[in-house]
Parts: sequence; C-alpha cells; structure tokens
Amino acid sequence: MIGSGDPPGNFQLDIDISGLIFTHHPCFSREHVLAAKLAQLYDQYLARCQRNKAKFLSDKLQALRNAVQTGLDPAKTQKSVDITQKAINEYKSEIRQTRKLRDAEQEKDRTLLKTIIKVWKEMKSLREFQRFTNTPLKLVLRKEKVDQKADAEAYEAEIQAEVSELLEELSEEHEQRMEEYRAAYQQWKAWKKAQRAKKKKKKHAAAEEHPEEEGEEPLPGEGPVKPVPPEPPSGAVLEQQVRERAARSRRRPGEPTLVPELTLAGSVTPNDQCPRVEVLRREDVKRRSVYLKVIFNGKEVSRTEVRPLGADFRVHFGQIFNLQIVNWPESLTLQVYETVGHSGTTLLAEVFLPIPESTVVSGRAPTEEVEFSSTQHVTLDHEGVGSGVPFSFEADGSNQLILMTSGKVSNSVAWAIGENGIPLIPPLSQQSIGFRSALKRADAISSIGASGLTDMKKLAKWAAESKLDPNDPSNGPLMQLISVATSGESYVPGFFRLEQLQQEFNFMSDEELNRSKRFRLLHLRSQEVPEFRNYKQIPAYDREIMEKVFQDYEKRLRDRNVIETKDHVDGHRAVVAKYLQQVRESVLNRFLIAKRHFLLTDLIVEEEVPNISILGLSLFKLAEQKRPLRPRRKGRKKVTAQNLSDGDIKLLVNIIRAYDIPVRKPVAGKFQQPARSSRTFGEKCAASPPAHSSPAPSADYPLGQVLVRPFVEVSFQRTICHTTTAEGPNPSWNEELELPFRAPNGDYSMTSLQSVKDDVFINIFDEVLYDISEDDRERGSGTHTRIERHWLGCVKIPFSTIYFQARIDGTFKIDIPPVLLGYSKERSVILERGFDPVRSLSEGSYITLFITIEPQLVPGEPVREKFDSQEDEKLLQATEKFQAECALKFPNRQCPATVLDLSGKTVFVTRYLKPLNPPPELLEAHPNNPQATAELVARYVSLIPFLPDSVSFAGICDLWSTSDQFLDLLAGDEEEHAVLLCNYFLSLGKKAWLVMGNAIPEGPTAYVLTREQSHYLIWNPCSGHFYAQFDTFCPLKSVGCLIGPDNIWFNIQRYDSPLRINFDVTKPKLWKSFFSRSLPYPGLSSVQPEELVYQGSDKAAAAELQDRIEKILKEKIMDWRPRHLTRWNRYCTSTLRHFLPLLEASRGAGVEDDHRAELLRQLGDYRFSGFPLHMPYSELKPLIEAVYSTGVHNIDVPSVEFALAVYVHPYPKSVLSVWIYVASLIRNR
Amino acid sequence: MAEVHVIGQIVGATGFSESSLFCKWGVHTGAAWKLLSGVREGQTQVDTPQIGDMAYWSHPIDLHFATKGLQGWPRLHLQVWSQDSFGRCQLAGYGFCHVPSSPGTHKLDCPTWRPLGSWREQLARAFVGGGPQLLHGDAIYSGADRYRLHTAAGGTVHLDLGLLLRHFDRYGVEC
Repeated sequence: MIGSGDPPGNFQLDIDISGLIFTHHPCFSREHVLAAKLAQLYDQYLARCQRNKAKFLSDKLQALRNAVQTGLDPAKTQKSVDITQKAINEYKSEIRQTRKLRDAEQEKDRTLLKTIIKVWKEMKSLREFQRFTNTPLKLVLRKEKVDQKADAEAYEAEIQAEVSELLEELSEEHEQRMEEYRAAYQQWKAWKKAQRAKKKKKKHAAAEEHPEEEGEEPLPGEGPVKPVPPEPPSGAVLEQQVRERAARSRRRPGEPTLVPELTLAGSVTPNDQCPRVEVLRREDVKRRSVYLKVIFNGKEVSRTEVRPLGADFRVHFGQIFNLQIVNWPESLTLQVYETVGHSGTTLLAEVFLPIPESTVVSGRAPTEEVEFSSTQHVTLDHEGVGSGVPFSFEADGSNQLILMTSGKVSNSVAWAIGENGIPLIPPLSQQSIGFRSALKRADAISSIGASGLTDMKKLAKWAAESKLDPNDPSNGPLMQLISVATSGESYVPGFFRLEQLQQEFNFMSDEELNRSKRFRLLHLRSQEVPEFRNYKQIPAYDREIMEKVFQDYEKRLRDRNVIETKDHVDGHRAVVAKYLQQVRESVLNRFLIAKRHFLLTDLIVEEEVPNISILGLSLFKLAEQKRPLRPRRKGRKKVTAQNLSDGDIKLLVNIIRAYDIPVRKPVAGKFQQPARSSRTFGEKCAASPPAHSSPAPSADYPLGQVLVRPFVEVSFQRTICHTTTAEGPNPSWNEELELPFRAPNGDYSMTSLQSVKDDVFINIFDEVLYDISEDDRERGSGTHTRIERHWLGCVKIPFSTIYFQARIDGTFKIDIPPVLLGYSKERSVILERGFDPVRSLSEGSYITLFITIEPQLVPGEPVREKFDSQEDEKLLQATEKFQAECALKFPNRQCPATVLDLSGKTVFVTRYLKPLNPPPELLEAHPNNPQATAELVARYVSLIPFLPDSVSFAGICDLWSTSDQFLDLLAGDEEEHAVLLCNYFLSLGKKAWLVMGNAIPEGPTAYVLTREQSHYLIWNPCSGHFYAQFDTFCPLKSVGCLIGPDNIWFNIQRYDSPLRINFDVTKPKLWKSFFSRSLPYPGLSSVQPEELVYQGSDKAAAAELQDRIEKILKEKIMDWRPRHLTRWNRYCTSTLRHFLPLLEASRGAGVEDDHRAELLRQLGDYRFSGFPLHMPYSELKPLIEAVYSTGVHNIDVPSVEFALAVYVHPYPKSVLSVWIYVASLIRNR
Repeated sequence: MAEVHVIGQIVGATGFSESSLFCKWGVHTGAAWKLLSGVREGQTQVDTPQIGDMAYWSHPIDLHFATKGLQGWPRLHLQVWSQDSFGRCQLAGYGFCHVPSSPGTHKLDCPTWRPLGSWREQLARAFVGGGPQLLHGDAIYSGADRYRLHTAAGGTVHLDLGLLLRHFDRYGVEC
C-alpha cells in the first residue's frame, strides 16, 4: 500500500469507545421492547423537530408565492415580459413541488406523533397489566394553547391559497387542453370540409362510381375524431379535496399543539414486589456482561474491559485505543461479545467502523452511533422475550413479533495529532478513493476535498452541480460565502482575512501607507539600517522628503550581490571587500546575542564605602606638603555614549617638540647645482650643517636667515588646526590643539565609535617667506611677502587607536618622503647623540605628541562569552590555568594563549606559526644577502594594507585569520602581519618569535622578534621597519610574551621594556613556558596551509590601475581648487613618472641627489616643490586623503603648475605598492 | 496617514498584597497599525517600596504609530509580578487598558486580576507561592473565552500617558 515516494511513518488512529446500548436484547421484557420502540420514535421525533422540514418548506412556499406576486406586479412587468413570465412559470412549478413535499412532511409529522402516543398508551396498559414497572420511561404530552381565531384564519387562508393555486393550475391545464381541443377541432373541421368538398366534387363528377366512399367516411381511424371539449375545473370539488387532505395531514384549527416529552422520571418497581419470572429475568441480566474487540485489518489489536450489562441495557466503556499504524487502514471492526455467568462467551455481532476522513483529528471528532444486530436465536425461561423467537403483546398470542438482538455502539474514530500539531495521518496517496464518488453529490468535503473548501471557485462549481438549495438555512453561510466570492468579477483573494470588515473602515489602502516616504524613513531609522541610523530631523510632510534620500539604500539593496568595481578600481579587491563584508555580517550575527548579556556591574556603579584606612590616609593627606609645581595626575571621569551629541567630544592634540626636522638646503641656482649633486655621501656627513653659513644668500632666500621654520598642522575629519611657527630643526611648540569630533550620523554609541575609520594626520610644514616686492624702491616703505609652506612629513594615527588607548603619549617617527627636494637632514645633531651607535644616518625625524579625547570615552569591552572550540579539553583547561597564573603576577602583560579564528572558534595560538614560503621572486632578488632578503620580505608584508579588526568587527574582539586567508583578504591588523612575517622568517631559517606587547601608537600589538648571530632584531610587521633591541626609538614599549611554533613563553622578568629584558627563552627564571616537562608539547597540527601559492604579479592590471589612479587624483586636485585654474605640467609629469620606478627599486634610499640634478637640468626655470608618497594599496580613499593632507593644492599663486605621477608596482598575490609623486611648479621670474 | 504618538510612563502600582513588584507590559494593536519607532513591550525593574505601599517604576513608554484605520486601537496589557526573597517570581495580576483616544495627557488607573485556582491551590499559594497563570497572554486583552475563569482582584497599576494625534481630521475623525 505504501506509495513509492512515501516513507513509512508512524501514524496513529485513536478509537474512542464510549459505550454500548442494546435496542433489543434477549433479556428485554415486553415493557423494554416498547420502551425501546418509544425511545426510537422519540429520537426520530426530536430529529424531525430539529430539522423542522415542514416549517422550512412552508416558509419556502410563502417566499415563492411572494415572488410570484411581485413578478405579477404590473408596475414591474413592463420591462421584459418574457423573462418574468418564464420566471413566474418556473416559480409556479416549484410552488407545486414544494407544496407536495410540505404536505408529505406534515403528514409524516402527524403520523409520527400519533404513533408515539399509541406506543405510550400500549406501554401504560402493559404496565397496568403486569403490575410492575421495568423502565423509568415516562412520556408527557404538553399542550400548547393557540389563538383559536388567528389559527383558524391562517388555516383558512392557507386552504384558500392552495385552492386558488390549484384552481389556477387546473384552469391553466384546462386552457391548455382547450387549446389542444381547438387545434384538434380545427383540424377535424378542415378535414371535414375537405371531405365534404371531395364528396361534392365526386357527386358532381361521378356520384355512382364510388358509392362505398360515402360509407367509409365516418370510420374511426380514417380521419380525426371529433374532439370533446374538456370540462372546466370546478372550484367546489377542488376545495373539498384540499380540505380532506388538510384534515388528514394538518392540525385542525384551534386544536392545541401537542409536544411530547420523554423523561426518565418514572420509578422502577423494586425486585421484592415483582413476580418471580421478572425477578429471574433481572437476575439473568445481572449475570451478563459485554466486551468489545477491536479488529484492525482483520486482526485483533485490543479489547475493552468486560463490563456488566446494566438494568437499562447500557454498557459504559469510555476507553480510548491508540492504534499505531503504518499503512492506510483497510478495515476497522468492533466485535461485540457477551458473557453469561461463568460459561463461555458468544459473539453477538460485528460492527464495521468507517475509516475517518483525513480532516477528522482527535478532539474534534464527533461521537457517532453505529448500529449492529445479531442473528442468534435465544429462548429464555423467564420474562425475557428472547431473540429471534416470536412473541406477542396480546394475551391471545396474535400479532406476533420477531425481534433480533440489536444495539448501538457509540464511538468516535479520529487521527491523532502529533507533538508538533501535525495530524498523524498516512499520506493521502495511500488511500483508495474509489468509495468516495458515491458521496460526492451530497457532501462538499468528500467531493472536492477539505482543501477545496478554501477554493471558492471549486466550491461554487460544486454548489451549482449539486443544485444546492439556496434557501435551506443549513446552506445559508455557504451560499453567502459563494455569492460574496463569485459576485462581480471572479476575483478570488489569495489570502485569508481575519478582520473581514477592516477594509471598509480603512482610511487608505496599504499601498498608500507604504508609499509614505515619511513613514518609510521613520521605520528604516528605527530598524537601524546603516544609511538611516541616527538620521536627524525627518520632515513632517512627505513633500519635503527628497526621493534621493532612499537612493543609496535602494542601490545597496540592489547591488547586494553585484560586485561593484567602480569604487575599488581593482577587481580582485572588490571581490575581497565583498567577502570581508559577508564575513563581517555573519560574525556580527554570531556575536549579537553574546553582546546582549549584561551583568549587574554593567548597569550599576556602586561606590565603595570608605573604611577607616582610607579615611586615615586622606587625613594624612591633609597634613601633606602642598607642591603646586608638581601637580598630580587626576583620573578623569569616563563618559558613556548616550548623553553625547555633536560637538561634545574633542580631540586634544598636544604637540610638544620635534627632533631632526630636515633643514632647507641653500640652493643658489642651477649653476651651483651640478657641484652639489656630485657630493659624495661622506662629504654630506662631514658637511658643516648650518645653512646660513653657506655662500651668500641667493635670490631664493631674501629673508632666509633660518634653517627651517616648521609648524605642525593637525587635520582630522577635514578640520584643520595648526601651531605657531617655531624655528630651527629641533623646535619646541608645546601647544595644545583642539579638534572637534563628529561621529558618523551623530551616533555616539560604542559600536559606532569603534568603527570610525578616520585618521588623525599630523603634518609638519616649513613656512617659507618669499619677497615678492616688484620694486626695490618699495622695500623701504613696506614689505610684500608671500608665505608658502612646504610639506616635510606626516604622522598618521587612526582614531580607533586613540579611542582604545584613551591617550597616546610618546615620540613618533615622522614619515618623511624619501625625496624631499630642497631639504636635507642636519647632521650635527646626530653627532651629538653619541649614545646610539646603531642608528644609521638615514634615520628620520621624530615628534613628541600627547593625544587624548576629551571627555574620556568608555572603550568597548571585549566579549566575555566563551566560544566553542575544537581544541582538546585538557589543553583549554591548561590554557585557562596558565593565563590565570600570568594575570595574577603581571596583570598588565598580555598573554593570548588562545585566539579566535575567522569562524569564531577558539584556536590555540601556536597553531598559527609554521614556516611558510615567501614569494619566490623576493628570494631571488638578493640570493647572497640574507639580511636584504629579510628586509624585502618585511617590506612585502608591510605592503599588505592595515585594517584593524576593531574596525571590521566593531565591538567584537580580535579575530586571527590564517596567512592564506590574510593574503586573500589583503587586509588585516598587526597580528596577521606579524604571523605572516614570522612564518616567512621561520622558512628563511631564522629563529623567530611573535612578540605580544604594547607599542605606540598601536597599544596592544604583535611584533616579530628574530635572533641574528649576536643580537636580536625587533620587526614592526606593519611598517616593515626593524629595530635593534637597544634602540631607544623602538615603538615597542613592553613585552608580554613570546610565541613560537611550539611553545609560549610568558615574560616573568621584573621589567618588560625590550631595552631591559633578556630574550633568552631557555632560562626558566625569566620566561615561564606553557609547555614544560609536566605538560609536554602534544604536537599540535597547524591551521596554516601546507604551502602558500602565489600568482605572479599582473603587470598589465597594475598599469591600468596606475592610469586610473592618476586620472582620479588629478580630478580630485582640480576639485579641491574650485576658484583657481589648475594647469598640469606634462613635461614634469613624465620626468617624475620615470623617476618613480627607481624609487621603488631602491626603496627610497640614495637616489635623491641624482633625481634633483635631473630635475634641475630639465626644469631649471621653475621653482619646484614636491615629494613622492608611498603606501600600500587597499582602496582609493586613503590615497586621496594622503594627497589632500600634503596640502599641495593649497598653493594659490596664479602661475602655479602641477605635476602628478603615479606608479604601481605589483608584487605577487596582487599586493601593490603605490607611489604618488605630486609637485607644484612656479616659474621663476 | 494618521499618526499617533504615545508618550508616558508606567508610574507604579498600589494595592497589591505582595511587595517587590515588577511589571511586564506590552502594546497590542490591530492589523491596520504600524509601529514606526519605539519598543512595543518591556519589563520594569523590581521595586520594593520602603515608605508606603506604592511601588514606583517610572518606566518610560514612547511609541509612534501610523495607522490606516481606527480598528484595533492600541491597548496596553500589563502583567504585575512579585519577586520573593528567593528570587522566585509569581503572578500578582493581569490588567489591560486601551490607550486613550483623545490627545492630551491622561492619568490612567488600570485595575488588575489574577486567576483563582482550586482551594488547594489557593492554600498552596498562600504558603509557598506559585498559583495559576494564563497559558496564553492574549487572554488579557481579548474578551474571548474568559467566562470560565474565576479570578481575584489585584491591585491597581497607575499610568501617565500623553497622546498626540496627527492627521485624523483628514479622514473625518475629529479630535
């Protein structure tokens, strides 16, 4: 039976057997027989009452009569006589039908009532005769008085109406017959005439020839018989007939309505007052008991308990059987068994139960009564009438009856409902649908299926097919539904309406509501859609909202899966950006729940109650000496995000001093130049520094008495502040600059602040004064100078760093372009700094800064939740223990033994370290110089753009990607850079470790430590620079732990500054190792790939990118100079373009002088100011920002010309190094 | 496109025999209503009155609805719970009130009730806590099928609600 596609499931059929009633039983006494009969009749009566067919038919008749009346109304019949006439005829025929039915029904009602009364009378007489009562049945006839007059009138009216109708009917019939008669008569007449004419003719022609013709004429069959006119209907006879019929079937006028009521109020005569035979019968009944067997598909599956037969021949079971079945059931049978005393059991009857429809489920199935009867013959020796044997009520034995044992089982069969609310029904395909067709006419559900009920068309079709009576009240709701659904156009809504009348009362349609721009804007804002988060001041009227507000949002929705290459220039990066976006979204979703768990401490600040010791200390403090010149640091109060608004947050930048600013080179003119450019490196070192001691001040330095006049300009979010101008290469400003901070969309929540991507640019400029007095004569009376500024270098600090660090305090290396025309480093300072022999001369300039945010913001806290892991449970426990021990001793030193990978799983950190091959091109570049190779590798790593995790995964935590993921994403923060660099170094055969520690400005970060022959080198993986261990300007300020491929060493030395610690990890007193003798290294497999695969560098793509960047930057510079003409010097541009590849090849070292010479040779007439910028390529925006921050476009000399060249050098894995040379040229007069 | 702003607070509750009360609240609207901003439901803190017997929550309610019909005017349903010293929560009363339909500020008192169990359950409730609760919260604000319930009256929840209506006059609703 199981359909091929249907998996055999467990289905359940619930069979509820509530009880059994015998309508006849061998032990019935005569009275019982009558009682059963009475009860049956009464049930029938009740059912008829409930249906009230007679009343309904009368109403229908009335309605039809009314319809005919209105149809005959002369006022209305004007329009279409034919149609109304036809309708009226139909109505009339229907009236006839209905009347017949009604009369039949009324007659039945009356006979039933009569029978009930008759049976009751018989029963009463029986009771009287036998002098005891066996059943508590009692029939009461209630008389309902009626208004005699009104009743008589109604009766008469009814009869009259009927008579008139019949009369009409008959007269119609009569009319018809008359018509027929007339036609026949005419025919007959015509025939007669013809006959006569013939006769005449014949007479006239040959009368004697055919004498027999005359005789044939009147013969029947030959011609039409003369028709007899029909009799007109007689009113009196008809009325007589009607009255007879009414008397038979209807209540006489004025006769009270009889309402029988059957009660069980009578009392049964107790045993001791009964004759012996009756007592015997009662005893026999008591000995009998009954049980049922449930037979499923011909097999007994269960049986009910054995219950004694009650005196009223009812058995109550009240048992529910749950049948666990697999197939659609074939048959379901109950077998009724009877036990007499202790003798055997006999099968009384079998009851076949219908298998329920699939819509019938437990709890909703009605209890049904199924009748059964038995063929057994039982003769008893007491009052019991037996079964299958004749007996009689009459004393003389006449009028014999033979009754068989019969009864009703009340049960309900239904499908069980599973735990999830799904009925446990075998699939419908399993059932045979043959038996259903018979039912189709009558039952809508069996005809079109339960699901068809919701389909209006099907339902209407079925109603039309089955000629459903629209006036039947039981069909009322259905007809209404159908008429509503099919009226007008055949529109069937594809939904189910809960509030049906809603639509009539609506102010407007849904579409109108959804069209409202204001509501949409409000809704999107409250959903925190990124474009509309914290959208301020939504207009009150729709007309004030521009359509373009939604453009970005809609575009984003459209482009969700389209990779947009326009913004990214480079296809690969576009894909990566998309991928990163997806990873970010999925990770965000994972952490969203984890973030919601608040602790009490997150909400409540509880100040500690001061105890005695604190009080005492503060008392001592009163007596302490006041030292106003040595102020103490006071903790600032942290401000939470919610009570902030635009303008509340300020970025404070304290610029203290700078060292080693490049100084102007006295350039006399192009004639002196060749000599200068030929100076050797040694000469430069020995050269006497001060510029003012150089040969006589040239035309370039009319006022130039100083080396350099540097000032600092801080730009943040396009707000610019600058310090006063100081003098000399080691200026001291000691100035505080205040820059306002604006959060994106005015959203000052923690997550929003964390994802601010803006950078703080700290630019150092040289202020140059040019005398532009046209005439020497004016010099006496006034000065006319122009101030120009020359960019010297910059420091870039991401806002996120400041936000997480709360304050940044330290000395930073200024990022000075490799070629700074017109400037050179002042060497004398270097000589003074004798303590630092390692420092090479090419080392740059430094600036001391203090940056903080006012008021102090609360940085986001890391997620506390534990994440699932695939690590060994033991290892995880050991990790926790190790970290707890470390934190106990040195709470400030970080020790990340486990980290999260991109999928949010905890991974042991050493799994990230494994020797990985660097790109082969890099290895081939310097085959004999390991140090150069290392530097090149470090440079390669530093060319991968830096993107902090806190920005990409706002508010979550650090995620570590593996090196191949990192190279695919082409973006990552310190850890990824450090891991990749460390892996490269390991594969180069160096001893290398990951250093976890604190650095400026990054804060907690990762560096790489390598061990050379005699000393250690600290590599900054993001910049590619390396520092010796004892370098004072090393940005790494503290060391927390070292991580190698097979162990972690925690720094347990007293100091953590790299200057003061020993990096020898073999000393257990200085370094606490994770894996030791007690917990040996289990040989963890690496999460890194076996080998990194590098695609070769794509030169063509790089060239294309180069052109695009150049074009875009040129457009940008023109945009930034809206009020001036921007001219491009093509000659200079091409020179610069040739120069940039050289810079890449030498990584910005030692080409400056040649370049200057070249430039001067070609552009002798111009005063040239410009510099190359170098950065890794991620996207366009940072490049534009960098060019903007140099301020080249700010020159507004009318005759200025610009030059811009871009060079993109491709490295393997589409790592790109971008050089931008921007310059301004002013023609010398 | 009529709009309704409901701005106010659940001030507190009086008349409950239990102390340490908190209130879960929610706003139910018909299908014609659309929540533009604000949160539909929430829960107050547990307040233990120190002076007097009124528990103060001062829980803010700020909702902004748009509607296309009057059917299903917003109704506020409340559940007052009490927390005992063991941290167990038991029901103290259910209540509901319609958000007023005229603009302005309104002080509402929302009486509450709770289902009453059999005498055995009542006895248990008096000594160990617990007691019957509604299986489905929607019986609080829908009138259907409540006739079987036996309830006991609880205390009163006090609300201050301010109403702002907009554009109802455009659709013939004068207010």
